[in-house]
Amino acid sequence: MEFRLSAEQKLFKQMVREYCEANIEPRVKEITGEGRIPDEILHGLADLGIFGIMIPEEYGGSAPVGEEMSYANIAIHEIARADMSMSIPVYVLLCLGWGFLISKYGTDELKDEVLAKVAAGDYFVGINTTEPGGGSDVANIKTTGEYKDGNFIINGEKTYISGVTEVMEHREGGHITLVRTDPDAGHKGFTFLHIPGDLPGITPVILEDIGRHGLSTGGFVYKDVKVPEKYVLGEVDRGFYLNMEGFSMARILVSSACVGMAEKALEISRDYVKERELFGRPIAKFEGISFEIAEDHAKLEQLKLYLQYAAWAADKIYTEEDFMSHRELSRIVSICKMEAPMIAEEIARHAMMQLGAFSYTKECKLGEALKGVMSYVVGAEGGHNIQKLIIAREFIGDVAVPYR
Amino acid sequence: MNIIVCMKQVVDLEQIRIKTQTREPVMEGLPVMFGDFDKCALEEAVRLKEEHGGKVTAVAAGSAKLKDTIKEALAIGADEAIILTDEAYQGSDTMGSARLLAQVIQKIGDYDLILMGDGSADDYSGEVPPRVAEILDLPQAGFAREIKVVDDALHVTRDLEAAHETIALELPALVSVSTEINTPPLPALTDILKAGRKPLHTWAPDEVGVPDKAGLDPAQIGTNASVVEVLSNLAPVQDRKEIIFEDVEEGLAEITKALESEGVLEQ
Repeated sequence: MEFRLSAEQKLFKQMVREYCEANIEPRVKEITGEGRIPDEILHGLADLGIFGIMIPEEYGGSAPVGEEMSYANIAIHEIARADMSMSIPVYVLLCLGWGFLISKYGTDELKDEVLAKVAAGDYFVGINTTEPGGGSDVANIKTTGEYKDGNFIINGEKTYISGVTEVMEHREGGHITLVRTDPDAGHKGFTFLHIPGDLPGITPVILEDIGRHGLSTGGFVYKDVKVPEKYVLGEVDRGFYLNMEGFSMARILVSSACVGMAEKALEISRDYVKERELFGRPIAKFEGISFEIAEDHAKLEQLKLYLQYAAWAADKIYTEEDFMSHRELSRIVSICKMEAPMIAEEIARHAMMQLGAFSYTKECKLGEALKGVMSYVVGAEGGHNIQKLIIAREFIGDVAVPYR
Repeated sequence: MNIIVCMKQVVDLEQIRIKTQTREPVMEGLPVMFGDFDKCALEEAVRLKEEHGGKVTAVAAGSAKLKDTIKEALAIGADEAIILTDEAYQGSDTMGSARLLAQVIQKIGDYDLILMGDGSADDYSGEVPPRVAEILDLPQAGFAREIKVVDDALHVTRDLEAAHETIALELPALVSVSTEINTPPLPALTDILKAGRKPLHTWAPDEVGVPDKAGLDPAQIGTNASVVEVLSNLAPVQDRKEIIFEDVEEGLAEITKALESEGVLEQ
């Protein structure tokens, strides 16, 4: 059992940190103001091989075979330290998590068409399941895909989707979309397909977020959108299961983003309380301050290690036969996704309280961090209580399932 | 062109804490790395190899952590690496280090060029490159900001204080570089993964001996052979000058003058 990064992983972490501190950290305010991540940052990250982590070499990627998620965890962690507003880490993790599903289940035509562009940082890949009627009850989604002459005709609406302006205006991209292809088959009637943003019949809707301004949120209205069947991932009517598999990967990386941001927030408050003097001594002398930081540090360290385990398990599930089931992995992953946003939110909030009034100004990055992580507290990539539901289902058993 | 690049593992200087009471630096448990000079030397070697073919061998001395640290050199583009981590090498002064490196270079044998940083990131004595060149009887140039291969010779442009000087050296030669020479790029993930598969050798003292010549004499290297005595390495005293101006006009003029002399404000 190893509790440390390999020499290569350590070096990779150091390189990503060096790049992000020099090229991302100084520009976060500008990115937040402009509502867009500059191409040169995406290309810089691509040059380091980050967008290619989940993509095999033959498709232009840089996959560290058998260790993809462990490396992805490191990359997202480091990016989130530099962009605490979470815009860039979320942009990248969506491309990694859902790009992985294209690598694994896409048709050869789809893989040839998009993967090299994803790896080069030129193509965004997002996830598209939530509808105006809700997102947590995935089995109840209403957008339909009717098969006709080699195409699926998509009708319906998706909302609270990340990366809308990105695929409609900024650059090429698309969303992996869950649609109902068999109206009578319950959760066994869904198909997962990739919908490029430039297909005719798509109307974007833009929502104004309270934070994470570098990455847009909105939705799509689909009116008779013809999606060629080469864009189907895996088998028709088996999309629900692929969706769950993709969520496991994305949730690990969401947790990586939360942990990276929280680590930086905690360092900011640690450094501050050593310097800031009140009543003639550094405020670190007061246990009301130091004990809170000690507790936050302890929570974060436990989470970091467990998350490293989750990423390792996600790597093993694809490389070691009978390692564990995807349901078992979903329990491990849900523990991360349940804890990470809450702990990160708490640490960012505590850091703001320790820094005082300055933290409430836009000069301080902690406000953007808190607003950014709230997107994961309230729901993105599976709500907080949904994670509890998964953990209860797997640990207690079917008796704890409310939807049956 | 076969190039040997000599690199030194140093502690991350930015992470050194200074004890407030005694002004002593706390050196324990610090992360280790290669300094910028060394990375520039390596990047230059990789560039020359890409242009003229051949092979780049990185040679580095340091602690046991070097087997991890050296991966960066392999990721930047060294084809193979030889690391010197034995206890016997530790604590060498510049002469001891030069003897060790010269011996290792002789053992490697097949080389056209030796590149080093002008000085190490920690001590920056700048003594090792000329000492190694002297032992090996090689032409040597320092402060290199540009290296070109012209026919069979090496044209090296040196960064002197008031001028740039270009000189020609016969190969084999030893050149030490300044950080002006290039900006080493960050290695990408695929380079890092490849680094893990490149040959890495750890040479113990008995492997460093050269056939037909005297082997490495343990009395010539390491702490025992060091003639440099560190008298003090305390951080400089920092005193904050508390200057109070009673007169606002006079104060403003003095502050402006001070800021101008420090280059914060333009005159």
